[in-house]
This record gives sequence, C-alpha cells and structure tokens, in this order.
Amino acid sequence: MNAVFCIMIAAAFGYAAIGGNLDAVTHAAVQAGGDALQTVLGLLGGFMLFGGVMKLLEEAGTVRALVRWLKRPLRWVFGSQAGEDALGATALNLSANMLGMGNAATPMGLRAARLLQPAGQIAASAPLCMLLVINATSVQLYPSSVIAMRYAAGSAAPETIVLPTLVASTSATAVGMAVCWLCERKRRQ
Amino acid sequence: MTAWLLAIAMVIAMIRRVEVYTAFTAGAREGMETAMRILPGLAAIFVALRMLEASGLMHALCGALAPVAAWLGLPEGVMPLLLLRPLSGSASLGMLADILRQYGPDSRMGLVASAMMGSGETVMYTCALYLAAAGVKKSRYIIPASLLGWIVGCAVAGCFFRA
Repeated sequence: MNAVFCIMIAAAFGYAAIGGNLDAVTHAAVQAGGDALQTVLGLLGGFMLFGGVMKLLEEAGTVRALVRWLKRPLRWVFGSQAGEDALGATALNLSANMLGMGNAATPMGLRAARLLQPAGQIAASAPLCMLLVINATSVQLYPSSVIAMRYAAGSAAPETIVLPTLVASTSATAVGMAVCWLCERKRRQ
Repeated sequence: MTAWLLAIAMVIAMIRRVEVYTAFTAGAREGMETAMRILPGLAAIFVALRMLEASGLMHALCGALAPVAAWLGLPEGVMPLLLLRPLSGSASLGMLADILRQYGPDSRMGLVASAMMGSGETVMYTCALYLAAAGVKKSRYIIPASLLGWIVGCAVAGCFFRA
C-alpha cells in the first residue's frame, strides 16, 4: 500500500504539473481531510447500530450454529488429513467472516492456518492454500459496512445489494476453490 | 430489513438469555472503534484520490481501462476500486464513499461498486498475515487464485445491474 500511495500522489502531482492545474490539485488535497472526517461521522451511526446487532447475533450463538452447518462440507473440502481442532478453527473463522465479523474471524483464522500447515514446511500445504483462498474470497451473508455506507450516502434502498453481494462473493469463492483444486490435481499427476 | 434484523437478533438473544443491552452497547463500541480506526486511512486515500481526480489523471486512467471494463461488463468508473480492493480495506472503503457521493448510491455505478466492495476482501493483507502466522515462505497459487475469484466476483456483481 505504501508504494501505491506514493505512486498515486506522484502521478497526480506530475500529471497536474504538466497539465498546468496544480492549483486545483492543491485545493483538492487540502479539502480531502475534512471530507474524510465527514464520511466517518456519517458512518458512525450505522457502524454502531450494526456493531450492536452483530454482537447480539454473536452472543446468541449464531456463529456456533453456522459452525455446525459448515463442519460436514468442510470435512469434505479439507479431506481426512485435517484434524478435528483445525476443522473447528476453520469453521469458526469462516462463519465469523461470512457474517462480516472481521475482528472475531482473524484470531481463529490464524489458529487454523497454524494447524493446517505441517511444521517445518516452507511451501504452503494444500489445505492452507484452500483456507486462504476461501478467506480471501469470503462469502458475505450481510455486508453491513457497505450497507451503513449506503445509508450514510442517502440511498433509497441501501439493502438492494445484499443478494448481488451474496451471489458475487459465492461465485468468487467457487472460482478460487476450483483453481486450488485444479492446481493440486495437476501437481499430483 | 434492518429493523427486522434488529428485532430478530433481539428475540434470539433474549431466548438465549443474553444481556441484550450490555451486548448491544459492547457491539456499538466496537463499531465506533472500527469507524475511528479507518479514519486515517480514509484521509490518506481521499487526498490521493482527490488529487488524481483534480489532475485529470483519474479520468485518463478510467479511459485507458475502459476496454477491460467493457469486457468484464463493468462501468469504467469502478475499475480503480477493482484494483484497490485487494490492497487495502480502508482505502477501498474511501473509494466507495467517493463513488457513492459522486454518482449517487442508487445509480448503476453506485450499485455495482457497493456489490463489489461487499464481495471482496483485502487479499494481499490477509495472505501476508496468514502466511506469516503459519511460517510459510512460498505462497504458491494462493494469490492468483484469490485474485481470479475476485475479478469473477466483480463481473458477477456487474451482471446484476445492467445498464
């Protein structure tokens, strides 16, 4: 991200200097900080509301319910080498991720990653690759921060994107898993 | 739907004998902390984005990426989000805020960008973090597979909101 940020600033500056509209760029840069604050203030209400709702769901045991649902398909995906501990951590990680609880998902995911990787092996194991790809393309049941942002932007129907998001993220996960599966199959041949 | 979600969450929580008020306020605090935590990243990306827009380079970049966007069935204005989403969560959230402000949340652009944002993850950060935790040096096909999934997800998001 460091390089990306530097390139963005340098490119904008260079392009404006050549085009002769540095004044407009300066003005835009100065305004941006205030706009960021305003955006966060607009988001604060929605984030607090959804934070509260998600916490209620979490404490009411929805994550545990999802874990129960996920265990069987996960056993099938990860195969027999993965132990009960690893599968449990993976199920918890993926469930929390699906509900958009990033804070709760990460520690479990890291635990799952350690359990799925044989000690002393430098290249990522097949189950670890699968875990990471599923994580990086995570299925989203309810994208609450995007919805909060759409509320803040004054949308007439902030939640119209729930189904498209679910389908798009599921497709992403399916494609990622298919690539993993193909790569592993090719290697074994 | 949000009201339903709140009501259902509360009923389930009550049945499970959760202290509803305490849990809600704890969650609200987490939400507040998340919002404050993304502020610096948001400020940084806003500076960069506004400068790119004011310089005219953003327009040129979107124009240059237009053929790729057309091939994926996406409006060209969401291409910067496609590039940025795998790199940074707060930066891409900032970019989404900018798109919603500029084009409106219920425009095709706003809808596609929202669906894309929700269906992606910070691929690069997630991979770096997990691989470090597992002590792995060779990531093999993880990043290409995740990015391919992300791009297909974007194209699917675009399908839902045809012009």
